[in-house]
Amino acid sequence: MNRNFLLSMVSAFLIILGTWAPAMAGEPTEQIKQTTAKTLSMLTDPNLKNPARAQERKQTVSRTIDERFDWEELARRSLAQHWAQRTLDEKKEFIQLYRDLLERTYLNKVQDYSGETVRYEGESAESDYATVKVRILTSKNTEIPVDYRVMKKGNNWLVYDISIEGVSLVNNYRSQFNSILQKSTYQELVKKLKDKSLTEKP
Amino acid sequence: MRKFDIELAVGVFLLVGIICLGYLSIRLGKMEVFGSKGYDIQAVFINSGGLKNGSDIVIAGVGVGRVKTITLENYQAQVVMNLPWDIKVQEDAIALIRTKGLIGEKYIEITPGGSDKLIPPGGKIRDTQPAVDLEELISKYVFGKIQ
Repeated sequence: MNRNFLLSMVSAFLIILGTWAPAMAGEPTEQIKQTTAKTLSMLTDPNLKNPARAQERKQTVSRTIDERFDWEELARRSLAQHWAQRTLDEKKEFIQLYRDLLERTYLNKVQDYSGETVRYEGESAESDYATVKVRILTSKNTEIPVDYRVMKKGNNWLVYDISIEGVSLVNNYRSQFNSILQKSTYQELVKKLKDKSLTEKP
Repeated sequence: MRKFDIELAVGVFLLVGIICLGYLSIRLGKMEVFGSKGYDIQAVFINSGGLKNGSDIVIAGVGVGRVKTITLENYQAQVVMNLPWDIKVQEDAIALIRTKGLIGEKYIEITPGGSDKLIPPGGKIRDTQPAVDLEELISKYVFGKIQ
């Protein structure tokens, strides 16, 4: 169950190209689609498949995803009520650590990509916020519903939360961070995140 | 004169009895007659999983309010929640439908956010997480793997 959830998260992070044309695609869907297509083209690019270029591939994928994800918003929402107590430098450091954590957890598995496809199921928008609904079809014929929650910043719609099978990524980390911060200090949390990044570095 | 006194006493007694009965039934039925206290906010869920009017609203495990109404709108469940004035909900809070125990009754949990902006009365919690349907999840992964 846990592994399946992780795999779904990985798939969502890989953001895979859609094969069905949506009936009515708005701006948010269009932008999610662009990033998806770009990421997928990198993942399937035979030139980048060479193991020697794995690092390069990972970096280009991560750069593409950075353009679509609002890491500050993700970090702010995950720390929730503890965010306001942090200084500017602490916030900057945390955004970086959090981004690394998510990338390590999901992006390191790009090689697991096995031909999943994405079907766009429409979107609901409300002023500067929107939800893009997609379904990821795995090679085993299971469908995983994924919602991208996006908000408008300038001309871009940036992702601030992903919910898979109805389970929100931000809420997951929010409750984890909260329970750590209730028991110990913020410094302890940062240390934990740093330790994790050291032990898991490839 | 004396007879009148007894009649008055009985009448008053009966009146007090009826008032008590009324109060008791309102209390036990968790009804609200004099308009609800506090303020209302909405949330839309894809699946309310059998949430009922009067279901608890919980923050950090503490019951803070009740579900006022649940209506079907655009094939989604629109839930109106009533919260007391001193409970402020941030704009980036997340509302989740949870189950007490494995098969217990449903309630709404709000995980507070960190935004400076608060949801005004009549406002809406934008981010929600529907009830997790255990059966559906199991069948999805069980049957998915056979193929």
